[in-house]
Amino acid sequence: MLWGIKSIPSMGRSRLDYGLFIAMVGLVLLGALCIMSAVNSLSFTHAVVRTHLVALPVGAFAFFIGWSFNYQIYDEQWKALYGFILMLLVGVLLFGSYQRGSRSWFVLPFFSMQPSEICRVASILVAAAFLDRRGRRMRDTSSLIGVGFLLIPVFGLIMMQPDFSSVVVTFPAFLILLYCAGANIFYLGLIVVLAGVAGFFTISWTYIYLHPELMEYGMIRIFHALAYNGWYMVGFSILVTLLGYGAWWFFKQLRIFLPSFYFVLATLVVLAGLFGGIFVEHQMKPHQRKRVETFLAPKSDPKGAGYNVLQAQIAMGAGGLTGTGLFSGTQSRLGFVPERHTDFILAVVGEELGLWGTLLILGLYLLILWRIIAVAYMSSDRYGYLVCAGIFGMFFTYMMVNFGMLIGLVPVAGIPLPFISYGGSNLVSSLWALGVVQSVYARRIRA
Amino acid sequence: MSSSTKIIFSMRLKNLMTLVWIAGVVIALRLVDIQILRHDSYLQMAERNRTQIIYQTAPRGRVFTADGVAIASNAPAFSLYYLGAGKINPTYLNQMAADFAPHLNMPVAELVAKLTKIAASGKAAPLAENLSTKSTMALQELQLYYPGIYLVEETKRSYPYESLASHLLGYLGSMDEREWKKRDLQLGYRFNAKVGKNGIEKKFEKELKGRDGGIYLEVDYRGRVKSIIEDKKWAAGSDVYLTLNFAVQQAAEEGLRESLTGRGAAVALDPRTGAVLALASAPAYNPNNFVPYSDEEAPKNAKKINEYNLAIQGVYPPASTFKIITGAAALEDGNLDVNKKINCTGKYNSGPRVFKCWGTHGPVDFFEGMSNSCDVYFYTVASQIGAAAIERVERMFMFGRQTGIDLPGEKAGNLYGPTRRARNKTYWFVGDTLNLSIGQGELLVTPLKLAQFAAAIASRGNVYRPYYVDKIVSNQTGKTEQMGQPEILQHADLKPETYNTLFKALKYTVDKGTARRVKMEGLEVYGKTGTAQNPHGADHGWFLAFAGRPGEAPSIALAVFVEFGEGGSSAAGPVARKMLEAYFGRGKYAQGISKLSEEDYQELLPLGEEEHVVGD
Repeated sequence: MLWGIKSIPSMGRSRLDYGLFIAMVGLVLLGALCIMSAVNSLSFTHAVVRTHLVALPVGAFAFFIGWSFNYQIYDEQWKALYGFILMLLVGVLLFGSYQRGSRSWFVLPFFSMQPSEICRVASILVAAAFLDRRGRRMRDTSSLIGVGFLLIPVFGLIMMQPDFSSVVVTFPAFLILLYCAGANIFYLGLIVVLAGVAGFFTISWTYIYLHPELMEYGMIRIFHALAYNGWYMVGFSILVTLLGYGAWWFFKQLRIFLPSFYFVLATLVVLAGLFGGIFVEHQMKPHQRKRVETFLAPKSDPKGAGYNVLQAQIAMGAGGLTGTGLFSGTQSRLGFVPERHTDFILAVVGEELGLWGTLLILGLYLLILWRIIAVAYMSSDRYGYLVCAGIFGMFFTYMMVNFGMLIGLVPVAGIPLPFISYGGSNLVSSLWALGVVQSVYARRIRA
Repeated sequence: MSSSTKIIFSMRLKNLMTLVWIAGVVIALRLVDIQILRHDSYLQMAERNRTQIIYQTAPRGRVFTADGVAIASNAPAFSLYYLGAGKINPTYLNQMAADFAPHLNMPVAELVAKLTKIAASGKAAPLAENLSTKSTMALQELQLYYPGIYLVEETKRSYPYESLASHLLGYLGSMDEREWKKRDLQLGYRFNAKVGKNGIEKKFEKELKGRDGGIYLEVDYRGRVKSIIEDKKWAAGSDVYLTLNFAVQQAAEEGLRESLTGRGAAVALDPRTGAVLALASAPAYNPNNFVPYSDEEAPKNAKKINEYNLAIQGVYPPASTFKIITGAAALEDGNLDVNKKINCTGKYNSGPRVFKCWGTHGPVDFFEGMSNSCDVYFYTVASQIGAAAIERVERMFMFGRQTGIDLPGEKAGNLYGPTRRARNKTYWFVGDTLNLSIGQGELLVTPLKLAQFAAAIASRGNVYRPYYVDKIVSNQTGKTEQMGQPEILQHADLKPETYNTLFKALKYTVDKGTARRVKMEGLEVYGKTGTAQNPHGADHGWFLAFAGRPGEAPSIALAVFVEFGEGGSSAAGPVARKMLEAYFGRGKYAQGISKLSEEDYQELLPLGEEEHVVGD
């Protein structure tokens, strides 16, 4: 069979997928080196290295937990898990520490943790459990709507921190999960279209926000006023909903039968646009607005957000084939690469280890993704399959956003690259997720 | 799981895997694009990011005369830089300012403000530029006590003999943005770099410009100095050696300056090669005026200069000097008896018109006619041989054509003769023949052209292309590139007896006739004067001469022109004499040439022994 998915069971009765394990260990070791090199000249080098050295054994432990526990336990206890997620997220809003404009950290005596990282993996487990129970009704709209209702509180709570990037990168993971769960492609397509429209509106709003001269056009001014005042918004939303219903009723009177779905959709699209406006007006931080603009027109702001991407690309390009060697990249050491130990760590790898370094990381990621799919194929039950699909979606999105950002394919999102970037919570939860995949592998169909 | 759902699942998984592969390939290709294909440009950008450079202008190549006098050189100029980095204590800054201020001619408070600003920015910046050599001694010592202070030696162009050969040398000037962009691509010019704007400075810009040196500093993303990467020494440009004879050039310029009007040109060539020994045009300008680095002054200076190079751009009738051609044509004709006398009554009747001579010479033969420049003699001769014969000889010496010297803007002058007239489809009159015979009328030459003609006579017919650049010597590799080569454009194929007679006549002119001013003991000097009638004012003076040691071929040929000088002998003669004296080391030039000594000016040699940046 293609890509050898079927040939894997010949590996016998092993309880550990070695390919996946080796790729993971390789990335973790490489990551540790890169972080040390990246923070080498920062003032807080010691704190970073110490935290990372603490996170490594914790992560190893999390991997061990994920691997040794039967993954079906999450299926059985999904409601408890869901409650746990909500509790963590509410907890961080109440007791979290306020850092760099968002409340997303628990600061405990010996370490800090970012619950949204754990919740991302946990919510995949929960959504998989929900979809597992839908069984044959997967193709119904109700399944999609069910997942939607399940996730709205989670996303909503993360947005309240606010951690916009986290939501953006989790969304595609759930789309992939739904796709693998066998959801109707037509509906999935609609979701993507809706998300696209919402995104389009958001981007347009951002654009309008950054270019106030556009307000001279009447329509734009009216919409801006709407987005600015919540009460106008409520009234307008009701009006749009009623209009949608009215249109449906009108066609019904004319004996033209159209599925109500289209009218709901039309209403939703209009509302998405309006909420996009509200979001831009009240939720987005200036640097995020800038990022959107930079993506729209990278050359418009060479010293601003586009500057960061450019500097990262310069660093990578300067590395060439073999790189300048660890601890000796000038772009990163002298601070031209921003966020060099977290979001832009790939640029450091590119500069110091060259093309071989970046290709090695890309290769290891591809290996991980391939192995997760292989494990999904071998899983002994539907839940294991769905869990693997969700985790695959998560890593795939991470990879796409991180590499894509550097090569100018997607806007700067500010999310870490698991195993390589500095970030204890992310490392621990990523290792846990791979542990769960190994658990699925260990309990696969016997060939 | 049922088999149908399983089929869907495995198909969807495969689709996802395909997506992963596509994404992987796209990312990998783009990585190759960034890291391999664009590696060079990104590397350059990274280097530019991290380095800041305090530039040191390299000395331009020097320009030497054939006898080894540097007529364009470089003088040292100093700049004081401060690379404030890290935390700076205000009292320390105050003390530093107090120590440095007296040497920089700057109030202490102003210096403190400057230092504080630089320290805050963390960037390398100049405290003072163009410092005098005197103050640098103290500054060199002071910088040892204050880390971060750099005394940077630069160079500035200097022309020690001021206006000497200024029309050949040209001058330096700033670039406008367009010019800079064009140049920057090729040679790494800095925006404020000075480039040659005229003459040799422009023509040999590429060779003269050295490679600038600089102190390369590593800075972080905020521009703070982290370390000094490299202290790169400049590399001086290549030296240009001219064929000029320093003494003759100096004599020519001095002579022109002291002449009646101070306006004119003097050109001396080596008749054996066509090498330019002197090329002077007055009034001249002082190219040093353009050197100061403040650009505000440059336009002011530009208005003051006289860029018009009279030696190659001024066209005038050659007047009586042309009688050599008329004489040559008559001698070639074969029917002229040089000893037969023609009676000069002061006028010559040509039908209804009367042509006057400048004097009444009585009966004159060929030699007396030449030496007294008797118009009637040549009117008579010309009307016997006809204008076409004269024009033939005129063409032999390439009148009306450029001399082909490698200088921009050379005028060709104008050929005058019946064939030429015929081309314009107008008539040729007897009066034209008479006018032509004494070098008046439409015939026009430049002083350089006439010098070329003098050299051609002196070399018995070789019309050389004049050249003034001998060789270029690289200061880096020591390699010599030969530039000018003798090149015969045309050979004026007159009979040897014709030349013999002409030589005799011209020598007679110097010994007994109008060109007596250049008569010198122990030398064979030949000459001819000329006075070009000027309907707009005073007449112009011409002097044509060539000379050599007895028994040798003539080694110098010259033409001197003094605008509105009235008489050829009186105005241009002294200049010609000075030049000949300078060339042969006679008179006041017997003691050698008056070069500047070491004390008179400070020259920066391209391969100086001393460190150009002192201290660290």
